[in-house]
Amino acid sequence: MVLKLLREVLKVGQATVPYPFVPVEVAPGFRGKPEYNPEQCIACAACTIACPPNALSMETDLENGVRTWSLFYGRCIFCARCEEVCPTGAIKLGADFELASFTRQDLTVQAEFRLAECQRCGAYFASAKELEHVLALLDQAWKGQQSLSEDDISARKALLRLCPECRRKVDLPRVKELVHTAWPAVEVLDGRI
Amino acid sequence: MAEYDIRTDSKFAVKPDEAVNALKGALLKDIRRSAYVYRVDCGGCNGCEIEIFAAITPIFDAERFGIKVVSSPRHADILVYTGAMTRAMRVPALRAYHAAPDPKICVAYGACGCSGGIFHDLYGVWGGADKILPIDLYIPGCPPTPPATVHGFAVALGLLQQKMKAVHHVQGETERSQLISPQVPLSLRIMIERAARRMAGYWHGKRIADDFLSMVDGGNLSALSESLHAYLQKRDDPRLAEIMTLLKEEYATHLEGG
Repeated sequence: MVLKLLREVLKVGQATVPYPFVPVEVAPGFRGKPEYNPEQCIACAACTIACPPNALSMETDLENGVRTWSLFYGRCIFCARCEEVCPTGAIKLGADFELASFTRQDLTVQAEFRLAECQRCGAYFASAKELEHVLALLDQAWKGQQSLSEDDISARKALLRLCPECRRKVDLPRVKELVHTAWPAVEVLDGRI
Repeated sequence: MAEYDIRTDSKFAVKPDEAVNALKGALLKDIRRSAYVYRVDCGGCNGCEIEIFAAITPIFDAERFGIKVVSSPRHADILVYTGAMTRAMRVPALRAYHAAPDPKICVAYGACGCSGGIFHDLYGVWGGADKILPIDLYIPGCPPTPPATVHGFAVALGLLQQKMKAVHHVQGETERSQLISPQVPLSLRIMIERAARRMAGYWHGKRIADDFLSMVDGGNLSALSESLHAYLQKRDDPRLAEIMTLLKEEYATHLEGG
């Protein structure tokens, strides 16, 4: 009886994994610690809007022109919504799960980004890196397009460096012209139709 | 009007006195091979409990470190608080804390135990366990997997070192983000990403689209077919093969139609 049991035990072998003395392998598609790459982040806040438990948050200081992105691992539910929505791939869920920490402080990641100033009124209006990223994307999209001249492109890009308010004001003459060509009978007076 | 909010002000948290703090260091030395754990569910979804019990099964076997789950706080050296601290469970959580003999270690377990997790802004939730109790160790996760649990207890008992470190990054002078897959036209990337996400879901679709675009080589369809074939053989997944074939078709139409 005992021998039979012993034979059975020897046949089955050891079931216990040697973790934590030997690293354990995680399943493919495992969603572990969100790995953040601040160099790639453009502080667009897409992840902070998507994050269901608000583990990701962002604060904008318009006085000093600084935007602070922060992540608190203690609240993260590892849903990967941030990875889904990130337009630059700055945050990706890795395979690391060893997050235990003695203090709250050690569970935080923070990154500070500068804001871009409007070229006309000087107000802060968007993250500087986000603006540069948009301009680079437009370059990529407009590359080799015949319908846009060099002047058109530089005029449109200059417009993007303004805050929404100034952009509307500066762009008014062009809108006026567009309206005039589309409906010659309509008169445009002081920006009002 | 109250001058404070008892729910958010952690100055109302229980504070152990100096003598108890001094004893804690000795406790860690003494209980290294026999730590009795009592769990308190303060209002969670039971996911954390299931993972704790998975961690004491033979596969992960937390008992080889002497960790034993006991059924009374009076026997406990370690108190594990799971779930968001709800209004109704606040007093039972405090009673469990005071029932455990000093010195004791308090662990906040899971996203909810650490900070309230996804329930942090509910009307009946006071936040994490650290709102009312002195917490010695945080084990994040939703829920923490059995290996994460074993790691957490090993850190609590001083067998392993803590890996996490606070990070503070300040934007550098010349810091620029890189475009993803700059070698393919923007319209093509958007088309492939949309098609892949439509077929495989948002998260997997993005990864599949990235893999596909890394194989696209300037309009050479036969080279793409070859690398796709090698890629799919390695994966051995008919669903992935189907999606990749459809993506290739869309790509071929894009090349013809422009």
